[in-house]
Amino acid sequence: MLLRYVNLWFSLAKFSLLGELAFRGNFLIKIFVELLWLGILLLFNYTIFQQTTSIADWNAQQYFFFIGCYFAMGGLIEMLFLDNCNQFADLVRSGDLDFFLLRPIDEQFLVSCKHVDWSCAPNIILGAVIMSLALWQIGWTFDTIQVGIFLVLFASGTALAYGFLLILMSASVWLMRNQSLFEMWWLFTTLMRYPSEIFKGPWAQPTGWFFFFVIPIMLVTNVPARVMVRPLLEPWLACYAIAAAIVVVAASRYIFRAALQHYRSASS
Amino acid sequence: MMKYLKILHISLTERLAYRADFFLTTFFRFLPLVTTFLLWEAIYAGAPKADDGAETTIVGFTRDKMIAYLLLVQISRMFSSMPGLATGIAHDIRDGNLKKYLLQPIDMLWYLLSYRGAHKIAYIATTALPYGILFFLFRDVFDLPGPWTWLAYFLSLILAFLIGFFFEACIGIAGFWLLEVTSFMYIVNIFTFFVSGQLFPLELLGEYPYLTAALEVLPFQYLAYFPAMVFLEKRQGTELIVGLLIEFAWAIGLLVFCRWLYHVGLRHYSAYGG
Amino acid sequence: MPIIEANGLSKTYRVYQKQEGLFGALVGLFSREYKDVVAVDNVSFTIEPGEIVGFLGPNGAGKTTTLKMLAGLIYPTSGSATVLGHVPWEREDAFRRRFSLVMGQKNQLWWDLPAADSFQLHREIYSLPSDQFDATLSELTELFGVKDLTSQPVRELSLGERMKMELIAALLHQPQLLLLDEPTIGLDVIAQVTIQKCLRDYNAARGVTVLLTSHYMRDVEALCKRVLVITHGKLVYDGSLAGIVDRFGNEKLVKLQFDGDDSPADVATFGEVTSREGPIVELKVDRARVPEVLAAILQRYTVADISINEPPLDRMIAKVFEQGTV
Repeated sequence: MLLRYVNLWFSLAKFSLLGELAFRGNFLIKIFVELLWLGILLLFNYTIFQQTTSIADWNAQQYFFFIGCYFAMGGLIEMLFLDNCNQFADLVRSGDLDFFLLRPIDEQFLVSCKHVDWSCAPNIILGAVIMSLALWQIGWTFDTIQVGIFLVLFASGTALAYGFLLILMSASVWLMRNQSLFEMWWLFTTLMRYPSEIFKGPWAQPTGWFFFFVIPIMLVTNVPARVMVRPLLEPWLACYAIAAAIVVVAASRYIFRAALQHYRSASS
Repeated sequence: MMKYLKILHISLTERLAYRADFFLTTFFRFLPLVTTFLLWEAIYAGAPKADDGAETTIVGFTRDKMIAYLLLVQISRMFSSMPGLATGIAHDIRDGNLKKYLLQPIDMLWYLLSYRGAHKIAYIATTALPYGILFFLFRDVFDLPGPWTWLAYFLSLILAFLIGFFFEACIGIAGFWLLEVTSFMYIVNIFTFFVSGQLFPLELLGEYPYLTAALEVLPFQYLAYFPAMVFLEKRQGTELIVGLLIEFAWAIGLLVFCRWLYHVGLRHYSAYGG
Repeated sequence: MPIIEANGLSKTYRVYQKQEGLFGALVGLFSREYKDVVAVDNVSFTIEPGEIVGFLGPNGAGKTTTLKMLAGLIYPTSGSATVLGHVPWEREDAFRRRFSLVMGQKNQLWWDLPAADSFQLHREIYSLPSDQFDATLSELTELFGVKDLTSQPVRELSLGERMKMELIAALLHQPQLLLLDEPTIGLDVIAQVTIQKCLRDYNAARGVTVLLTSHYMRDVEALCKRVLVITHGKLVYDGSLAGIVDRFGNEKLVKLQFDGDDSPADVATFGEVTSREGPIVELKVDRARVPEVLAAILQRYTVADISINEPPLDRMIAKVFEQGTV
């Protein structure tokens, strides 16, 4: 049964690629702008580290690892889910969501995975490259267990981000927003882009805790990045991150199904 | 003239019609500013202290001036950001709604411009309170500039609005040829965020003269960085005049380019048969 | 065993009123008025396997809503239905594999890719074995006459060709029930006729039950022996097409060509004049009175030509729509 979904996903990925290559110009321009953006981000941080020695206790190499992790994670989410979640509001508005409901396949799967945005794939590779370079500069020795834990936490971070996206996307059934999900995602990535330690000070710290533990968006990049480059990652934090991912994904499925229910009651 | 006032009225009503949405978005609009603040605090905290106990400056900005800069950049963006403009135009093209502009005695670009203008006024009115509070809290970091600077600042903001509008309109109009404008616009927005000076003053790239020269000629810095610098009086005399002239040139240039692109697009569109 | 059984299906919507003006919008932030709209009102019917049944009704009558309830897309407010032995709104996988819904002017296929790719995807979604799939695809593309078009991107096809591809996709998994919502809307006459023929042939060959909604008489005339007429959410007629004529066609159109260059001045006393051109007059006459009217005219005047016709079905149906009751 699971195999069926895996095969289906590969077909969807293949057809998405075919579709994108049919519009080569579009595809290449997007990749070009993404490279520019990464370039500026790296340049900014490089210049900053010539003026300062650390940002919130993260030194230059550690911080670069963090950026690589952010870039790869963002790339992965944007490749797999962002476009599809954004289309959902249009599907609801136009009523075309009906066609997803007719297929003998789980609707959440179809809605989330229909299109794979291959133009974001280079981000993941570049993120991985930056992470590797940072590790090399630190003089890191290969530790299989550490890498294993990192990958698990990276996956759970991705799942956590996916869960949040799904919840935001489902909300559009009730709110009937006009704004695109991209804007919400951009705000989301704002919290993913920096180490949680920058939330220092009487006002900032509680806010930081809120986005780390209550609506744990910051767990997404912070935890996997910490595993690799920070002195010691408390095991309870890793467990919390995984647990949060499971809870949010489960909640998101529940909310998604509720949204479908509402859509079906209100649709004509 | 009356019809544009009517657009203002409808625009305000429309804004209030989105209930929970309205409260949520206003709250979340401030999040990037908060994180940018915190980032810079951390940067200044980690910077090596000067031997004579003077205030740490990074590329000529003390911590206070940096805060002032970041707040001013928000104001610039209030004028120059056009959320949903490009995607709206692209949608109209794709769904065939363009017909309504072609059949009625109203020009799409001028209509959208006045609509956006009205939207901006409404937006500024509704966010005046939270921003007012913010500026009051940080009032110590500001030195109030002289009257000529105010005039130049105001001019730069109006021009920033025009540049922002026509730039995004051009991307929207690219929807005649591009298939997917939404995700492209997303990337452009991210790129603009960095290159317009919203995250850091462009001084930071001063070590790369080719880059700095390129950015000075490109329109992006006028969306956020330049107006802020005008207010901070970091642009004086000839520098200021030249900057404003380049900004003006970009506003006119993008306007002309946009209209031309629109014309070409319409010809292409009607050739398809809709 | 009926393939569809609907019992007292009803659907009511709550529509929130948007307040006028600025003040109204402010009030609307805190409280809203609403009214209930009845889309489908107590509709019951049974459909046997192999039938081709038409749902007729004006726009907004509730045809599409009823169809969507049968497809399981919408929950009814009250009433029950069984389709293919399942309760449709539970949307079991087994149910979804056995029927198809096609909506006119809506596209289920991938826009940028050739139809063939969409069909492949369809095969995977429905888990169809490849040899069976290939055979069915071949048969369908042959039937609809689009064999060379499947490798062209869907967006390059004409409206009629696209609809044919949609129908092929709908039939690939060999459903037992085909639900069609305004399938020929927006198509030119030739495309309409081709599609009608294909559907008829497929129904004859495979025994697929077809339910189609339309407000085009031509579709219904071409395909359906049985029609259900729905107006204002209510089922006002369930029976044969011919029956409508009997029930509602109580008028006939009598066309007379009088000798000479003009028609007599008092011709209006014999019936309602629907057209008058020189010596040719068309009168609408009560069916029962036709013999006596004819006799009276022939007694008084010389008539060169007579023809007696049913008013077009459209007009009859339109009257049914207007009346809203049986």
